[in-house]
Amino acid sequence: MIQVNNLHKSFGEIHALRGVTFNAPNGQITGLLGPNGAGKTTTLRILYTLLTPDTGNAVVDGFDVRTQTLAVQQRIGALPDARGVYPRLTARENIRYYGRLHGLTNAMLEQRIVTLIELLDMESIADRRTDGFSTGERLKVAIARALVHDPINVLLDEPTNGLDVMSTRAMRDVIRQLSAAGKCVVFSSHIMQEVAALCDHIVIIAKGKVVGEGTAEELLHTTGKANLEDAFVDIIGSEEGLER
Amino acid sequence: MKRIAIVFTKELIDNLRDDRSIWGTLGYALFTPALILLLIVVMGRFMRGEADKALMLPVAGRENAPALVLFLEQNNVILQDAPINPQEAVQNGEVDIVLVIPDDYGENFSTGQPAAVQIIADNSRTAAIPNTLRAQGLITQYGQQIGALRLLARGINPSIVYAVVVEEVNVATPQSQSLVFLNMLPYFLVMVVFLGGAAVIIDTTAGERERNSLEPLLINPIKRWEVVLGKLLASLPFATTTILVALGGFAAVFNLFPIEHFMGVQVSVDIGVLVAIFFVCLPMMLLAGALQMIIATFTHTYKEAQNYVNWLPLFPALPGLLLAFMPVKATVQTMLIPLYSQQVLINQLLRGESVTPLNVIVSIIATLGVSLILILIAIRLYNREEILFGKK
Repeated sequence: MIQVNNLHKSFGEIHALRGVTFNAPNGQITGLLGPNGAGKTTTLRILYTLLTPDTGNAVVDGFDVRTQTLAVQQRIGALPDARGVYPRLTARENIRYYGRLHGLTNAMLEQRIVTLIELLDMESIADRRTDGFSTGERLKVAIARALVHDPINVLLDEPTNGLDVMSTRAMRDVIRQLSAAGKCVVFSSHIMQEVAALCDHIVIIAKGKVVGEGTAEELLHTTGKANLEDAFVDIIGSEEGLER
Repeated sequence: MKRIAIVFTKELIDNLRDDRSIWGTLGYALFTPALILLLIVVMGRFMRGEADKALMLPVAGRENAPALVLFLEQNNVILQDAPINPQEAVQNGEVDIVLVIPDDYGENFSTGQPAAVQIIADNSRTAAIPNTLRAQGLITQYGQQIGALRLLARGINPSIVYAVVVEEVNVATPQSQSLVFLNMLPYFLVMVVFLGGAAVIIDTTAGERERNSLEPLLINPIKRWEVVLGKLLASLPFATTTILVALGGFAAVFNLFPIEHFMGVQVSVDIGVLVAIFFVCLPMMLLAGALQMIIATFTHTYKEAQNYVNWLPLFPALPGLLLAFMPVKATVQTMLIPLYSQQVLINQLLRGESVTPLNVIVSIIATLGVSLILILIAIRLYNREEILFGKK
């Protein structure tokens, strides 16, 4: 469970976040929708403790992201915007490295890796070096290593970016499975259709602020629009930086 | 602690699979002994060859001084015809020197007046200086011989004109004369230490960011100081291997290679001395690694970091280069300067001088102290948010 409360963050002159507030409960998929540059990545980076908010705070399972970083890091699995893998290590070795950093050891770790390789359907590439992997294959490795410690909270930054249709569908299945397993899933996207199809709860961010929030039905209701895409555009005020 | 070991192990395996790291390590290690070998062969030839070679000397007015000409010919000088305009020829570099014997030479000589000859040379051309000195020396020698004969003819002991004589007592042994080459060793060793682990450091820091794997790594429950130490430690086996290979190379050059054949003397370096040098070098590896880590924090790519890191060894190596020309006394104060103290110590060890234990201890502590400060700086830099983005 993640609670985000009035986050502000500036980088020099740029005021990236001007008050972001939302809750993401367990067992639900929370989608952060917004155009590119709206502040989605900055919000997620604060949640995975890489950035410190200027004001406001965020709490993961009761642990403050600013002061209890280690406890937060143990409870989250993240697919950040940067998702590079080690090209000279095999897929399995990449996942194993993160598992060890999370304190998992031999038999338990290897069992967990086997489970993830099955879940993500990557048996054929598991023992190949990741050098030369396709975007989709690299993404699978990045997801697997993020989930290696079976975290309760899963944060995904634009998880379908650069994927072909088949990989995108597989990715969405994984997200649904995680939610069904009772996890708190937060993912960001600038693709309206994806958010509409997947999310239990939608948080719309524009220019560093939350401009709308709710279930799909609630958003339709408040805007009085007939379909979700029109509702999104209506709330954000422009179609710029979004994708259908 | 455990997480440092995890990072260390991963980086070690990862870099052992990297040709760039392997060849970066071995390349520098083998390059330096090879360079020393080349210098010995080329310079040894040069130094030995010059003395035996006949001096080619263009002479104008040869007919004015037949006795001098004969003396020169007897002393391994081959006389050549002088160019028409000797000064211009020397200025243009067509010939190194020209000896001009004026027409009044014979008259002055027979009347007992000082008979002048001119040596036309360009002293701004270093390469011509040995020949000029040699010609000057021969003519002076001839003059002294004639002078002595004249005094004898008048019944005077020629030695009376030498009120004071300088007797040079050269204590340089053949071994120490060839130390010119050994004096370059400290410089080369600093280069090797600095570049041996560099490929690994750059790959694990700037390379990690370039591959977009730094951000996900830092999301793991690991302290930044653990990341810094794990990566720094991973460079040490590579740096150690580099030094060992380089020292092994030097051992082979100085003990197996027939240097005598090229230099006239055999130079040898005791294996025990090389072992001592290895231990003197060890603290420098930490220092070099920490410096490189700091540089890598503000560079975006492997290539960019490499540009800076490749220049790094030149600065600490400069005093070592000076050492090759002017020996510096090993005082406790000089031992406080990291990198410089090691070069002084290595130099002492190579010369076979006794090394004070206090100096070694001060050198190690001072270098480790500075390394610690640099590591703390690196950790501070890794704790900043900007580490994700590189240069700001």
